[in-house]
Amino acid sequence: MTTSTTSRPIVEGVFTDTAAGPRLIGTRCRACGTPHFPRSPVCRTPACNSADVEDVHLGPHGVLWSFTIQHYKPPAPMRFDDPFVPYGIGLVDLPEGLRVLTMMSAPDPAALKIGMPMELVIEPLYHDDHGNAVTTWKFRAAPAQVKRG
Amino acid sequence: MRDVAIVGVGMHPWGKFDDKPLTLMCREAVGAALSDAGVAWNEIEAISAGSSRFSGGFGWGLNGNEIAMDIGLTGVPVYNLSAGCATGGSALSVGHMLVASGQADTVLVVAGEKMPRGFLPTSGSEGDATDLQYLQWACAGMTGPAFWAMLTHRRMVDYGTTEQQLARVAVKAHKNAAHNPNARYRQEFTLEDVLNSAVVSYPLRLYEVCPVSDGAAAVVLCSAEEARKRTTKPVWIAASVVATGQPGDGIPRGVSALTTDGRAHHSEVTAAVRKAFATAGVAPSDVDLVELQDNTVYYELAFPEEWGLCEPGQAEWLLERGETEPTGKMPINPSGGFLCFGEATTAMGVFEVCELAWQLRGEAGARQVPDAKVALGQTIGLGANGTAVILKR
Ligand SMILES: [Zn+2]
Repeated sequence: MTTSTTSRPIVEGVFTDTAAGPRLIGTRCRACGTPHFPRSPVCRTPACNSADVEDVHLGPHGVLWSFTIQHYKPPAPMRFDDPFVPYGIGLVDLPEGLRVLTMMSAPDPAALKIGMPMELVIEPLYHDDHGNAVTTWKFRAAPAQVKRG
Repeated sequence: MRDVAIVGVGMHPWGKFDDKPLTLMCREAVGAALSDAGVAWNEIEAISAGSSRFSGGFGWGLNGNEIAMDIGLTGVPVYNLSAGCATGGSALSVGHMLVASGQADTVLVVAGEKMPRGFLPTSGSEGDATDLQYLQWACAGMTGPAFWAMLTHRRMVDYGTTEQQLARVAVKAHKNAAHNPNARYRQEFTLEDVLNSAVVSYPLRLYEVCPVSDGAAAVVLCSAEEARKRTTKPVWIAASVVATGQPGDGIPRGVSALTTDGRAHHSEVTAAVRKAFATAGVAPSDVDLVELQDNTVYYELAFPEEWGLCEPGQAEWLLERGETEPTGKMPINPSGGFLCFGEATTAMGVFEVCELAWQLRGEAGARQVPDAKVALGQTIGLGANGTAVILKR
Protein backbone atom coordinates (compact mmCIF):
# COMPACT_ATOMS: atom_id res chain seq x y z
CA MET A 1 0.00 0.00 0.00
CA THR A 2 1.35 3.37 -1.03
CA THR A 3 1.55 6.00 1.69
CA SER A 4 0.70 9.34 0.20
CA THR A 5 3.13 12.02 1.27
CA THR A 6 1.41 14.95 -0.42
CA SER A 7 -1.56 15.48 -2.64
CA ARG A 8 -1.93 17.63 -5.76
CA PRO A 9 -4.71 18.15 -8.33
CA ILE A 10 -4.21 16.56 -11.77
CA VAL A 11 -5.11 19.93 -13.30
CA GLU A 12 -5.32 23.48 -11.87
CA GLY A 13 -8.42 25.66 -11.98
CA VAL A 14 -11.01 22.93 -12.60
CA PHE A 15 -11.98 21.89 -9.06
CA THR A 16 -11.19 23.12 -5.56
CA ASP A 17 -11.56 22.34 -1.89
CA THR A 18 -13.36 25.20 -0.12
CA ALA A 19 -14.27 25.70 3.53
CA ALA A 20 -17.76 24.54 2.55
CA GLY A 21 -16.43 21.40 0.82
CA PRO A 22 -15.39 20.41 -2.71
CA ARG A 23 -16.62 22.43 -5.68
CA LEU A 24 -16.14 22.45 -9.47
CA ILE A 25 -14.93 25.74 -10.95
CA GLY A 26 -16.92 27.07 -13.88
CA THR A 27 -18.19 30.31 -15.30
CA ARG A 28 -21.63 31.88 -15.56
CA CYS A 29 -22.59 34.35 -18.28
CA ARG A 30 -23.69 37.65 -16.72
CA ALA A 31 -25.73 38.46 -19.83
CA CYS A 32 -27.86 35.32 -20.20
CA GLY A 33 -27.04 33.22 -17.12
CA THR A 34 -25.71 30.17 -19.01
CA PRO A 35 -23.25 28.10 -16.94
CA HIS A 36 -20.07 26.54 -18.37
CA PHE A 37 -17.69 23.88 -17.05
CA PRO A 38 -14.74 24.11 -17.23
CA ARG A 39 -14.34 27.90 -17.20
CA SER A 40 -14.97 29.55 -20.54
CA PRO A 41 -13.76 33.06 -21.42
CA VAL A 42 -16.94 33.62 -23.46
CA CYS A 43 -20.54 32.48 -23.30
CA ARG A 44 -20.96 29.67 -25.84
CA THR A 45 -24.71 30.14 -26.27
CA PRO A 46 -24.87 31.00 -30.01
CA ALA A 47 -27.31 33.89 -29.63
CA CYS A 48 -25.28 35.45 -26.78
CA ASN A 49 -21.51 35.00 -27.14
CA SER A 50 -20.96 37.59 -24.42
CA ALA A 51 -17.47 37.94 -22.93
CA ASP A 52 -19.00 39.20 -19.68
CA VAL A 53 -18.60 36.04 -17.61
CA GLU A 54 -17.85 35.40 -13.94
CA ASP A 55 -16.24 32.47 -12.13
CA VAL A 56 -18.67 30.35 -10.13
CA HIS A 57 -18.42 27.31 -7.91
CA LEU A 58 -20.59 24.37 -9.01
CA GLY A 59 -21.86 21.48 -6.87
CA PRO A 60 -21.66 19.57 -4.65
CA HIS A 61 -25.12 18.06 -5.23
CA GLY A 62 -26.48 16.34 -8.33
CA VAL A 63 -28.52 13.48 -9.77
CA LEU A 64 -27.07 10.53 -11.72
CA TRP A 65 -28.23 10.73 -15.38
CA SER A 66 -26.33 7.67 -16.58
CA PHE A 67 -23.21 5.66 -15.86
CA THR A 68 -21.12 2.70 -16.92
CA ILE A 69 -18.43 0.53 -15.43
CA GLN A 70 -15.02 0.70 -17.14
CA HIS A 71 -13.82 -2.91 -16.95
CA TYR A 72 -10.51 -2.56 -18.76
CA LYS A 73 -7.55 -0.33 -17.98
CA PRO A 74 -7.58 2.52 -20.51
CA PRO A 75 -4.36 3.16 -22.46
CA ALA A 76 -1.56 5.59 -21.58
CA PRO A 77 -1.32 8.50 -21.03
CA MET A 78 -4.26 7.79 -18.69
CA ARG A 79 -2.77 6.67 -15.38
CA PHE A 80 -4.11 4.35 -12.69
CA ASP A 81 -2.61 2.65 -9.65
CA ASP A 82 -1.73 -1.04 -9.96
CA PRO A 83 -3.48 -3.36 -9.76
CA PHE A 84 -6.18 -1.78 -11.93
CA VAL A 85 -9.63 -1.79 -10.32
CA PRO A 86 -12.71 -1.33 -12.57
CA TYR A 87 -14.31 2.04 -11.92
CA GLY A 88 -17.59 3.78 -12.56
CA ILE A 89 -17.87 6.73 -14.93
CA GLY A 90 -21.04 8.74 -15.18
CA LEU A 91 -22.94 11.90 -16.03
CA VAL A 92 -24.38 13.89 -13.13
CA ASP A 93 -27.03 16.60 -13.53
CA LEU A 94 -26.30 19.63 -11.36
CA PRO A 95 -29.10 22.00 -10.27
CA GLU A 96 -27.02 24.80 -11.83
CA GLY A 97 -28.11 23.42 -15.23
CA LEU A 98 -25.09 21.36 -16.26
CA ARG A 99 -24.63 17.65 -16.93
CA VAL A 100 -21.08 16.86 -15.84
CA LEU A 101 -18.84 13.98 -16.87
CA THR A 102 -17.22 12.38 -13.83
CA MET A 103 -15.53 9.33 -12.44
CA MET A 104 -17.37 7.57 -9.65
CA SER A 105 -15.83 7.27 -6.23
CA ALA A 106 -14.87 3.73 -5.21
CA PRO A 107 -15.57 1.24 -3.81
CA ASP A 108 -18.82 -0.23 -5.12
CA PRO A 109 -19.90 0.93 -8.59
CA ALA A 110 -22.45 -1.91 -8.64
CA ALA A 111 -24.51 -0.01 -6.03
CA LEU A 112 -25.07 2.90 -8.43
CA LYS A 113 -28.51 3.51 -9.89
CA ILE A 114 -29.65 6.02 -12.51
CA GLY A 115 -31.67 8.79 -10.85
CA MET A 116 -29.97 8.54 -7.46
CA PRO A 117 -28.71 11.65 -5.62
CA MET A 118 -24.96 12.18 -5.85
CA GLU A 119 -22.36 14.39 -4.20
CA LEU A 120 -19.02 15.75 -5.31
CA VAL A 121 -15.75 14.56 -3.77
CA ILE A 122 -12.09 15.19 -4.54
CA GLU A 123 -10.12 11.94 -4.42
CA PRO A 124 -6.89 10.39 -5.66
CA LEU A 125 -6.93 9.26 -9.30
CA TYR A 126 -3.49 7.65 -9.01
CA HIS A 127 -0.23 7.96 -7.10
CA ASP A 128 2.83 9.31 -8.89
CA ASP A 129 6.31 7.74 -8.87
CA HIS A 130 7.08 9.40 -5.51
CA GLY A 131 3.90 8.15 -3.85
CA ASN A 132 2.13 11.51 -4.03
CA ALA A 133 -1.62 11.39 -4.58
CA VAL A 134 -2.81 13.02 -7.81
CA THR A 135 -6.44 14.01 -7.29
CA THR A 136 -9.43 14.56 -9.56
CA TRP A 137 -13.13 15.32 -9.20
CA LYS A 138 -15.46 12.37 -8.61
CA PHE A 139 -19.04 11.83 -7.48
CA ARG A 140 -20.45 9.30 -5.05
CA ALA A 141 -23.91 8.29 -3.90
CA ALA A 142 -25.13 10.99 -1.49
CA PRO A 143 -25.99 10.03 2.08
CA ALA A 144 -29.72 9.60 2.69
CA GLN A 145 -31.75 12.84 2.46
CA VAL A 146 -32.69 12.69 6.13
CA LYS A 147 -29.05 13.06 7.21
CA ARG A 148 -28.59 16.18 5.11
CA GLY A 149 -31.62 17.67 6.89
CA MET B 1 -25.22 23.30 -59.49
CA ARG B 2 -24.71 20.26 -61.73
CA ASP B 3 -25.94 16.73 -61.09
CA VAL B 4 -23.20 14.41 -59.87
CA ALA B 5 -23.01 10.66 -60.48
CA ILE B 6 -20.98 7.87 -58.94
CA VAL B 7 -19.61 5.88 -61.87
CA GLY B 8 -17.15 3.61 -60.07
CA VAL B 9 -16.53 2.21 -56.59
CA GLY B 10 -13.71 0.08 -55.19
CA MET B 11 -12.84 -1.36 -51.81
CA HIS B 12 -9.87 -3.07 -50.24
CA PRO B 13 -11.12 -5.71 -47.78
CA TRP B 14 -11.19 -4.67 -44.10
CA GLY B 15 -9.00 -6.54 -41.60
CA LYS B 16 -5.51 -6.41 -40.11
CA PHE B 17 -2.80 -6.31 -42.79
CA ASP B 18 0.38 -5.87 -40.79
CA ASP B 19 2.71 -6.68 -43.68
CA LYS B 20 0.92 -4.67 -46.35
CA PRO B 21 1.73 -0.97 -46.82
CA LEU B 22 -1.16 1.48 -46.69
CA THR B 23 -0.14 2.86 -50.08
CA LEU B 24 -0.64 -0.58 -51.63
CA MET B 25 -4.06 -0.97 -50.00
CA CYS B 26 -5.13 2.44 -51.33
CA ARG B 27 -3.68 1.73 -54.78
CA GLU B 28 -5.78 -1.45 -54.98
CA ALA B 29 -8.96 0.37 -53.88
CA VAL B 30 -8.32 3.19 -56.39
CA GLY B 31 -7.53 0.67 -59.12
CA ALA B 32 -10.80 -1.16 -58.47
CA ALA B 33 -12.80 2.09 -58.56
CA LEU B 34 -11.13 3.29 -61.79
CA SER B 35 -11.67 -0.08 -63.41
CA ASP B 36 -15.31 -0.14 -62.29
CA ALA B 37 -15.73 3.36 -63.76
CA GLY B 38 -13.80 2.73 -66.96
CA VAL B 39 -11.76 5.83 -66.14
CA ALA B 40 -7.98 6.08 -66.58
CA TRP B 41 -5.78 7.53 -63.83
CA ASN B 42 -4.80 10.50 -66.00
CA GLU B 43 -8.47 11.35 -66.56
CA ILE B 44 -8.93 12.16 -62.86
CA GLU B 45 -9.08 15.98 -62.56
CA ALA B 46 -9.02 16.34 -58.77
CA ILE B 47 -8.59 14.18 -55.67
CA SER B 48 -10.52 14.58 -52.42
CA ALA B 49 -8.93 12.37 -49.78
CA GLY B 50 -9.38 11.39 -46.16
CA SER B 51 -6.59 12.66 -43.92
CA SER B 52 -5.42 10.17 -41.28
CA ARG B 53 -3.95 10.89 -37.88
CA PHE B 54 -2.91 7.26 -37.48
CA SER B 55 -1.22 6.16 -40.70
CA GLY B 56 0.36 7.32 -43.93
CA GLY B 57 0.30 10.85 -45.30
CA PHE B 58 3.95 11.38 -44.26
CA GLY B 59 2.72 11.93 -40.71
CA TRP B 60 1.12 15.19 -41.83
CA GLY B 61 -2.24 13.80 -42.87
CA LEU B 62 -1.29 14.27 -46.53
CA ASN B 63 -2.83 10.93 -47.48
CA GLY B 64 -4.20 12.16 -50.81
CA ASN B 65 -0.77 13.45 -51.83
CA GLU B 66 0.83 10.19 -50.79
CA ILE B 67 -1.63 8.20 -52.93
CA ALA B 68 -1.09 10.52 -55.90
CA MET B 69 2.70 10.20 -55.60
CA ASP B 70 2.45 6.43 -55.25
CA ILE B 71 0.32 5.97 -58.37
CA GLY B 72 2.03 8.77 -60.31
CA LEU B 73 1.73 12.54 -60.08
CA THR B 74 -0.48 14.14 -62.72
CA GLY B 75 -0.52 17.71 -61.43
CA VAL B 76 -4.15 17.72 -60.26
CA PRO B 77 -5.31 19.47 -57.09
CA VAL B 78 -5.42 17.30 -53.95
CA TYR B 79 -7.61 18.11 -50.95
CA ASN B 80 -6.94 16.33 -47.63
CA LEU B 81 -9.99 16.37 -45.36
CA SER B 82 -9.95 15.71 -41.64
CA ALA B 83 -13.09 15.21 -39.54
CA GLY B 84 -12.39 12.28 -37.22
CA CYS B 85 -14.62 9.31 -38.05
CA ALA B 86 -16.64 11.65 -40.32
CA THR B 87 -13.63 12.18 -42.61
CA GLY B 88 -14.83 9.93 -45.44
CA GLY B 89 -18.19 11.68 -45.59
CA SER B 90 -16.42 15.02 -45.55
CA ALA B 91 -14.12 13.98 -48.43
CA LEU B 92 -17.14 12.83 -50.42
CA SER B 93 -18.86 16.18 -49.86
CA VAL B 94 -15.86 18.13 -51.17
CA GLY B 95 -15.58 15.78 -54.17
CA HIS B 96 -19.27 16.34 -54.83
CA MET B 97 -18.84 20.14 -54.67
CA LEU B 98 -15.93 20.04 -57.11
CA VAL B 99 -18.08 18.34 -59.74
CA ALA B 100 -21.37 20.09 -58.90
CA SER B 101 -19.71 23.51 -59.10
CA GLY B 102 -18.19 22.75 -62.49
CA GLN B 103 -14.58 22.93 -61.32
CA ALA B 104 -13.96 19.34 -62.41
CA ASP B 105 -15.78 16.73 -64.48
CA THR B 106 -14.14 13.61 -63.03
CA VAL B 107 -13.04 13.39 -59.38
CA LEU B 108 -11.55 10.64 -57.21
CA VAL B 109 -12.64 10.37 -53.56
CA VAL B 110 -10.37 8.04 -51.58
CA ALA B 111 -9.58 7.19 -47.99
CA GLY B 112 -7.52 4.44 -46.38
CA GLU B 113 -6.21 3.84 -42.91
CA LYS B 114 -4.31 1.35 -40.78
CA MET B 115 -5.34 1.64 -37.16
CA PRO B 116 -3.28 1.07 -34.01
CA ARG B 117 -4.49 -1.92 -31.99
CA GLY B 118 -6.70 -1.60 -28.93
CA PHE B 119 -8.54 1.40 -27.54
CA LEU B 120 -7.65 4.67 -29.20
CA PRO B 121 -5.44 6.86 -27.02
CA THR B 122 -6.19 10.47 -26.20
CA SER B 123 -4.33 13.35 -27.78
CA GLY B 124 -4.71 15.69 -24.82
CA SER B 125 -1.97 18.01 -23.57
CA GLU B 126 -1.12 17.28 -19.95
CA GLY B 127 -2.28 19.72 -17.28
CA ASP B 128 -4.10 21.98 -19.75
CA ALA B 129 -7.43 22.98 -18.17
CA THR B 130 -8.73 24.24 -21.54
CA ASP B 131 -8.03 20.95 -23.40
CA LEU B 132 -11.36 19.12 -23.39
CA GLN B 133 -9.78 15.85 -24.57
CA TYR B 134 -7.33 15.92 -21.68
CA LEU B 135 -10.09 16.65 -19.17
CA GLN B 136 -12.32 13.91 -20.61
CA TRP B 137 -9.76 11.15 -20.80
CA ALA B 138 -6.97 11.78 -18.33
CA CYS B 139 -8.99 13.54 -15.59
CA ALA B 140 -12.45 11.95 -15.88
CA GLY B 141 -11.43 8.43 -17.00
CA MET B 142 -13.47 8.54 -20.19
CA THR B 143 -13.04 6.07 -23.08
CA GLY B 144 -14.88 5.63 -26.38
CA PRO B 145 -16.77 2.56 -25.17
CA ALA B 146 -17.67 4.37 -21.91
CA PHE B 147 -19.27 7.21 -23.91
CA TRP B 148 -21.39 4.74 -25.91
CA ALA B 149 -22.18 2.70 -22.79
CA MET B 150 -23.60 5.70 -20.91
CA LEU B 151 -25.88 6.52 -23.87
CA THR B 152 -26.97 2.88 -24.04
CA HIS B 153 -27.60 2.58 -20.31
CA ARG B 154 -29.74 5.71 -20.37
CA ARG B 155 -31.73 4.30 -23.29
CA MET B 156 -32.44 1.18 -21.24
CA VAL B 157 -34.03 3.40 -18.58
CA ASP B 158 -35.87 5.67 -21.06
CA TYR B 159 -37.23 2.95 -23.36
CA GLY B 160 -36.83 -0.36 -21.53
CA THR B 161 -34.25 -1.65 -24.03
CA THR B 162 -32.98 -5.07 -22.90
CA GLU B 163 -29.51 -6.61 -23.09
CA GLN B 164 -31.02 -9.27 -25.38
CA GLN B 165 -32.19 -6.58 -27.80
CA LEU B 166 -28.73 -4.99 -27.83
CA ALA B 167 -27.22 -8.40 -28.59
CA ARG B 168 -29.75 -8.99 -31.35
CA VAL B 169 -28.35 -6.01 -33.29
CA ALA B 170 -24.94 -7.71 -33.36
CA VAL B 171 -26.48 -11.03 -34.39
CA LYS B 172 -28.21 -9.30 -37.32
CA ALA B 173 -25.00 -7.52 -38.34
CA HIS B 174 -23.01 -10.75 -38.50
CA LYS B 175 -25.78 -12.49 -40.43
CA ASN B 176 -25.32 -9.81 -43.13
CA ALA B 177 -21.52 -9.82 -43.03
CA ALA B 178 -21.47 -13.57 -43.65
CA HIS B 179 -22.44 -12.64 -47.24
CA ASN B 180 -19.87 -9.85 -47.64
CA PRO B 181 -16.42 -10.87 -48.95
CA ASN B 182 -14.92 -7.52 -47.84
CA ALA B 183 -15.97 -7.89 -44.17
CA ARG B 184 -13.37 -8.70 -41.52
CA TYR B 185 -15.63 -10.85 -39.30
CA ARG B 186 -17.85 -13.10 -41.40
CA GLN B 187 -18.88 -15.77 -38.89
CA GLU B 188 -22.47 -15.79 -37.67
CA PHE B 189 -23.18 -15.39 -33.94
CA THR B 190 -26.05 -16.63 -31.82
CA LEU B 191 -27.66 -14.43 -29.19
CA GLU B 192 -25.83 -16.49 -26.57
CA ASP B 193 -22.46 -15.95 -28.29
CA VAL B 194 -22.94 -12.19 -28.05
CA LEU B 195 -24.29 -12.24 -24.49
CA ASN B 196 -21.38 -14.46 -23.41
CA SER B 197 -18.74 -12.11 -24.83
CA ALA B 198 -16.84 -10.06 -22.24
CA VAL B 199 -18.43 -6.90 -20.82
CA VAL B 200 -16.29 -4.00 -22.08
CA SER B 201 -18.21 -1.14 -20.52
CA TYR B 202 -21.53 -2.08 -18.93
CA PRO B 203 -24.01 -2.69 -20.60
CA LEU B 204 -21.91 -3.09 -23.77
CA ARG B 205 -20.15 -6.36 -24.61
CA LEU B 206 -17.17 -7.07 -26.82
CA TYR B 207 -19.25 -8.17 -29.84
CA GLU B 208 -21.47 -5.09 -29.47
CA VAL B 209 -18.62 -2.59 -29.95
CA CYS B 210 -16.74 -2.13 -33.22
CA PRO B 211 -13.08 -3.11 -33.27
CA VAL B 212 -10.41 -1.11 -35.13
CA SER B 213 -9.28 -2.32 -38.54
CA ASP B 214 -7.24 -1.52 -41.61
CA GLY B 215 -9.19 -0.67 -44.76
CA ALA B 216 -9.41 1.50 -47.86
CA ALA B 217 -12.14 2.57 -50.27
CA ALA B 218 -12.45 4.80 -53.34
CA VAL B 219 -15.19 6.20 -55.57
CA VAL B 220 -15.12 8.01 -58.90
CA LEU B 221 -17.54 10.93 -59.36
CA CYS B 222 -18.55 12.44 -62.70
CA SER B 223 -20.76 15.15 -64.12
CA ALA B 224 -24.00 13.87 -65.66
CA GLU B 225 -22.66 14.37 -69.16
CA GLU B 226 -19.50 12.36 -68.44
CA ALA B 227 -21.48 9.71 -66.57
CA ARG B 228 -23.70 8.98 -69.55
CA LYS B 229 -20.60 8.23 -71.62
CA ARG B 230 -19.16 5.94 -68.96
CA THR B 231 -21.95 3.80 -67.58
CA THR B 232 -25.50 2.60 -68.00
CA LYS B 233 -25.86 2.30 -64.21
CA PRO B 234 -25.03 5.70 -62.71
CA VAL B 235 -25.80 6.23 -59.02
CA TRP B 236 -26.79 9.84 -58.36
CA ILE B 237 -25.71 11.89 -55.36
CA ALA B 238 -28.99 13.55 -54.38
CA ALA B 239 -27.33 15.25 -51.39
CA SER B 240 -23.94 15.21 -49.66
CA VAL B 241 -23.97 17.27 -46.48
CA VAL B 242 -21.55 18.16 -43.67
CA ALA B 243 -22.71 19.66 -40.36
CA THR B 244 -21.38 20.31 -36.86
CA GLY B 245 -23.14 20.12 -33.51
CA GLN B 246 -25.14 22.67 -31.53
CA PRO B 247 -25.92 23.18 -27.84
CA GLY B 248 -28.78 21.01 -26.61
CA ASP B 249 -27.35 17.51 -26.92
CA GLY B 250 -27.69 15.62 -23.66
CA ILE B 251 -24.28 13.97 -23.78
CA PRO B 252 -21.19 16.17 -23.41
CA ARG B 253 -18.61 16.47 -26.19
CA GLY B 254 -16.29 17.87 -23.51
CA VAL B 255 -16.85 17.36 -19.77
CA SER B 256 -20.22 19.11 -19.50
CA ALA B 257 -23.41 19.79 -21.44
CA LEU B 258 -26.40 21.96 -20.65
CA THR B 259 -28.97 19.80 -18.88
CA THR B 260 -31.76 18.76 -21.20
CA ASP B 261 -34.82 16.54 -20.97
CA GLY B 262 -34.48 15.66 -24.65
CA ARG B 263 -33.59 12.20 -25.88
CA ALA B 264 -31.79 13.24 -29.08
CA HIS B 265 -28.08 13.59 -28.46
CA HIS B 266 -26.37 13.89 -31.86
CA SER B 267 -27.22 17.30 -33.33
CA GLU B 268 -24.26 17.16 -35.76
CA VAL B 269 -25.78 14.11 -37.41
CA THR B 270 -29.43 15.11 -37.17
CA ALA B 271 -28.64 18.45 -38.82
CA ALA B 272 -26.74 16.74 -41.66
CA VAL B 273 -29.43 14.09 -42.25
CA ARG B 274 -32.34 16.53 -42.16
CA LYS B 275 -30.57 18.92 -44.54
CA ALA B 276 -29.81 15.98 -46.84
CA PHE B 277 -33.50 15.03 -46.89
CA ALA B 278 -34.46 18.63 -47.72
CA THR B 279 -31.78 19.02 -50.41
CA ALA B 280 -32.65 15.71 -52.04
CA GLY B 281 -36.40 16.27 -51.80
CA VAL B 282 -36.65 12.90 -50.08
CA ALA B 283 -38.83 11.97 -47.10
CA PRO B 284 -37.62 9.52 -44.43
CA SER B 285 -40.29 7.09 -45.64
CA ASP B 286 -38.72 7.10 -49.14
CA VAL B 287 -35.44 5.61 -47.87
CA ASP B 288 -35.00 1.97 -48.93
CA LEU B 289 -31.84 1.28 -46.93
CA VAL B 290 -29.35 2.90 -44.56
CA GLU B 291 -25.64 2.45 -43.92
CA LEU B 292 -25.07 4.15 -40.55
CA GLN B 293 -22.06 4.40 -38.28
CA ASP B 294 -22.60 1.58 -35.80
CA ASN B 295 -19.59 2.09 -33.54
CA THR B 296 -21.86 0.21 -31.17
CA VAL B 297 -25.26 -1.51 -31.36
CA TYR B 298 -26.86 1.49 -29.63
CA TYR B 299 -26.65 3.63 -32.76
CA GLU B 300 -28.72 1.24 -34.84
CA LEU B 301 -31.55 1.82 -32.34
CA ALA B 302 -31.12 5.54 -31.62
CA PHE B 303 -30.18 7.04 -35.00
CA PRO B 304 -33.24 5.95 -37.03
CA GLU B 305 -35.43 7.60 -34.38
CA GLU B 306 -33.39 10.82 -34.27
CA TRP B 307 -33.75 11.07 -38.06
CA GLY B 308 -37.48 10.36 -38.26
CA LEU B 309 -37.11 6.95 -39.95
CA CYS B 310 -39.23 5.51 -37.13
CA GLU B 311 -40.90 6.71 -33.95
CA PRO B 312 -38.92 7.12 -30.68
CA GLY B 313 -38.91 3.79 -28.86
CA GLN B 314 -39.94 1.86 -31.98
CA ALA B 315 -36.48 0.68 -33.07
CA GLU B 316 -36.39 -2.40 -30.82
CA TRP B 317 -39.83 -3.43 -32.09
CA LEU B 318 -38.64 -3.19 -35.72
CA LEU B 319 -35.44 -5.06 -34.89
CA GLU B 320 -37.25 -7.97 -33.25
CA ARG B 321 -39.58 -8.33 -36.23
CA GLY B 322 -36.68 -8.50 -38.68
CA GLU B 323 -37.58 -5.18 -40.29
CA THR B 324 -33.95 -3.97 -40.17
CA GLU B 325 -32.73 -6.99 -42.17
CA PRO B 326 -32.15 -6.59 -45.94
CA THR B 327 -35.64 -7.92 -46.68
CA GLY B 328 -37.39 -5.81 -44.00
CA LYS B 329 -39.16 -2.44 -44.14
CA MET B 330 -36.17 -0.48 -42.80
CA PRO B 331 -32.94 -2.29 -43.80
CA ILE B 332 -29.94 -1.09 -41.80
CA ASN B 333 -26.31 -1.90 -42.61
CA PRO B 334 -26.74 -4.78 -45.04
CA SER B 335 -22.94 -4.66 -45.38
CA GLY B 336 -22.55 -5.92 -41.80
CA GLY B 337 -21.54 -2.43 -40.68
CA PHE B 338 -18.65 -1.33 -38.52
CA LEU B 339 -19.42 -4.13 -36.04
CA CYS B 340 -18.21 -6.65 -38.65
CA PHE B 341 -15.74 -4.49 -40.59
CA GLY B 342 -14.18 -2.65 -37.67
CA GLU B 343 -13.43 0.99 -38.13
CA ALA B 344 -10.65 2.31 -40.29
CA THR B 345 -11.91 5.64 -39.09
CA THR B 346 -11.23 8.01 -41.97
CA ALA B 347 -12.34 5.51 -44.64
CA MET B 348 -15.78 4.73 -43.21
CA GLY B 349 -17.76 7.35 -45.11
CA VAL B 350 -16.31 6.13 -48.43
CA PHE B 351 -16.87 2.50 -47.44
CA GLU B 352 -20.58 3.27 -46.89
CA VAL B 353 -20.91 4.86 -50.33
CA CYS B 354 -19.37 1.77 -51.96
CA GLU B 355 -21.92 -0.51 -50.28
CA LEU B 356 -24.84 1.80 -51.08
CA ALA B 357 -23.77 2.01 -54.74
CA TRP B 358 -23.58 -1.79 -55.00
CA GLN B 359 -27.03 -2.04 -53.42
CA LEU B 360 -28.55 0.55 -55.77
CA ARG B 361 -26.99 -1.20 -58.78
CA GLY B 362 -28.44 -4.51 -57.60
CA GLU B 363 -24.98 -6.06 -57.25
CA ALA B 364 -24.97 -6.90 -53.53
CA GLY B 365 -25.59 -10.64 -53.92
CA ALA B 366 -27.05 -12.49 -50.93
CA ARG B 367 -27.25 -9.28 -48.85
CA GLN B 368 -29.16 -7.37 -51.56
CA VAL B 369 -32.02 -5.11 -50.47
CA PRO B 370 -34.73 -5.90 -53.04
CA ASP B 371 -35.37 -3.11 -55.56
CA ALA B 372 -33.40 -0.45 -53.65
CA LYS B 373 -33.87 3.02 -55.17
CA VAL B 374 -33.00 5.53 -52.41
CA ALA B 375 -30.20 5.05 -49.88
CA LEU B 376 -28.88 7.03 -46.91
CA GLY B 377 -25.33 7.00 -45.52
CA GLN B 378 -24.10 8.72 -42.36
CA THR B 379 -20.97 9.34 -40.32
CA ILE B 380 -20.20 11.03 -36.99
CA GLY B 381 -16.74 12.13 -35.88
CA LEU B 382 -14.72 13.74 -33.14
CA GLY B 383 -15.10 17.51 -32.97
CA ALA B 384 -18.92 17.32 -33.34
CA ASN B 385 -18.66 16.46 -37.05
CA GLY B 386 -21.57 14.83 -38.86
CA THR B 387 -22.15 13.90 -42.51
CA ALA B 388 -25.04 12.50 -44.51
CA VAL B 389 -25.33 11.36 -48.11
CA ILE B 390 -28.43 10.39 -50.08
CA LEU B 391 -27.94 8.30 -53.19
CA LYS B 392 -30.50 7.42 -55.87
CA ARG B 393 -30.48 5.22 -58.93
ZN1 LIG C 1 -24.62 34.26 -22.42
